[in-house]
Amino acid sequence: MLEITGLRKQFPGGKVALDGVGFEVRPGELYGFVGANGAGKTTTMRIVMGVLLSDAGQVSWQGRPLDADTRKRIGYMPEERGLYQKMRVAEQIEYFGQLHGMSAAAARTATNDLLERLTLTERRNDAVEALSLGNQQRVQLAVALVHDPELLILDEPFSGLDPIAVEALSTVLQERARGGVPVLFSSHQLELVERLCDAVGIISAGRMVATGSVETLQAAAGRALKVVVRGAEPGWADGLPGELAVQGDRHVLVTSGGDDQEILRRAVKSGHVEHFGFERASLTEIFKEAVA
Amino acid sequence: MSAVWLVAKREIVTTVRTRSFIIGLIVTAVVVGVVAFLPKFFDGPDKYTIGLVNSQELPLKQALPEAEFTFKTFQDRAAATKAVLDGDLDAALVDGTTVLTDGQIETELGVLMQSVNREVKLGAAGVNVPPLAMESVGADTRYEDARRGIAFLLVIVLFGLVIQSVSMVAMGVVEEKGSRIVEILLASLRPWQLLVGKVVGLGVIGLINLAVVLVVGIGAAVASGFAENFPPGMAGIIAGTMIWFLLGYAFFATYSASLASLVSRQEEVGNVLGPMMLTVMVTYGVSIYATGDPSSTLSTVMSLIPPFSSMVMPVRMAAAEVPLWEVGVAMLIMMAAVAGIAAVGARVYERAVLRTGARLKFTEVLRSR
Repeated sequence: MLEITGLRKQFPGGKVALDGVGFEVRPGELYGFVGANGAGKTTTMRIVMGVLLSDAGQVSWQGRPLDADTRKRIGYMPEERGLYQKMRVAEQIEYFGQLHGMSAAAARTATNDLLERLTLTERRNDAVEALSLGNQQRVQLAVALVHDPELLILDEPFSGLDPIAVEALSTVLQERARGGVPVLFSSHQLELVERLCDAVGIISAGRMVATGSVETLQAAAGRALKVVVRGAEPGWADGLPGELAVQGDRHVLVTSGGDDQEILRRAVKSGHVEHFGFERASLTEIFKEAVA
Repeated sequence: MSAVWLVAKREIVTTVRTRSFIIGLIVTAVVVGVVAFLPKFFDGPDKYTIGLVNSQELPLKQALPEAEFTFKTFQDRAAATKAVLDGDLDAALVDGTTVLTDGQIETELGVLMQSVNREVKLGAAGVNVPPLAMESVGADTRYEDARRGIAFLLVIVLFGLVIQSVSMVAMGVVEEKGSRIVEILLASLRPWQLLVGKVVGLGVIGLINLAVVLVVGIGAAVASGFAENFPPGMAGIIAGTMIWFLLGYAFFATYSASLASLVSRQEEVGNVLGPMMLTVMVTYGVSIYATGDPSSTLSTVMSLIPPFSSMVMPVRMAAAEVPLWEVGVAMLIMMAAVAGIAAVGARVYERAVLRTGARLKFTEVLRSR
């Protein structure tokens, strides 16, 4: 389990980037780390990877503080993609595998497997700079995965990918998680996070404002009642809580309070009820609520 | 250690495979080969054409075997005079008593004809003159010109190679920093391992370049016959050059890596390397001076002070005899300087290489945590 507790970071300019950030990522868990730009996602991940020092707080793995040896077993994808542009694809992946402590032979086998999985086998001897951005991203992912990491930390792995690549990457991450690897990734694609993740952490201005499983967060956010009435008389909803939107003869009432039975009676009396149901808050709504 | 070697190996393999490296090597080899053959074209054996009027050929070839002499017989003095004035003859011997020349007689040829004539006449009279035995009691200056020439070429080669290798180190550092590859690298490597690996790898590349220059240069010199002018102890000069190249390279490469880690874009590399390039230029200037006057006080002093010693000392070693203890002392001081700059440079590199963005200040980084 990856445990992050009480991280604080103030940059030389005086800006407090992290103000007591803490959360955990359990084995086999896909953890979505979301937050507005500048909220502190990248800073947190860079501190976990040891490329940035924190002013206070701790990062521990399996109960022990993360050290350089342990970090060798993490798969990392930084926010700004870094590859040697003139180096060949396969050689580059092998190189990083070896840097992570693999033998040359093991690195080669793992590279060949990954190239096959990521449909890059035909490009194995091309220079990275000759690849499309989407394919470069796949190489970047391969670099993060080549040494069969015990923990994955990926900063915006989905940004800039087309839908097919998003699916491929999702599958790969789910597989790794199923294999017991904790996967921490940041993203702005909230629908994707909602669909994919077991747990979500929302960071805002250097503080965690919400953490937990998607279901827990939705339960905490409460449910909303949505009623759609066609051809209702104007003023039918007067006195009822919530917001009414009128689109032509279509009246949509969304509310989180009030007597649901009373609302239904009024709706039936005033027109043709097309829809009546409770809706779960989407992650986007939860997010907007949390960072507001 | 294996991490350092991995980094070094990557540098070597990726550089050796680039077209610019291969082309650079070929161009260097051709230029060096041509330069080594040049003396043959400019320094061919002397050729003299001598006219004879009512005279016998003088055995000039016996006295000066490396020169070539051609003799032409003329009917009378007037015809010989015309040929001399036309430039067809270097000199004409008339009646075995007078030598005609155009203007002043060329000194070497004049002295030669005079003494050979004397010898012939004396020999005819039965007098045998044993030749004078020549013996120098001063320093051996026979190889002075060759030594200075070699030293001069060495300066140019060392200067070019140091500039080239050091620039490659700087550009590599910025490539990794600017593209943030360094973040992935440093998740599995210590900063010093990355730094040392890069410096070692590109040092091997520099050494390959130097070896090509030396092998082609010496090979061409042997083929052209210029090698006969090589001073004794050429092997020592070559070994010394390689060692000094490595010491100078280690110094400047570490220095430039730490400077380059202060910036994040290739466009800024030139600027940030300014102070270092100035030091290399000064070293170059002093070395050129030392080729002309290798034993002066200035040359001697500069050949002991790092980093100037890295170029001035090999130049002195090539251009003149240098006492072994001086070389030893210079090497020890230079090694200490390399260790010093490596310690400071690694600190700066370690702290600066992850701080992407605006250019950082060297002293500020050194002071920071």
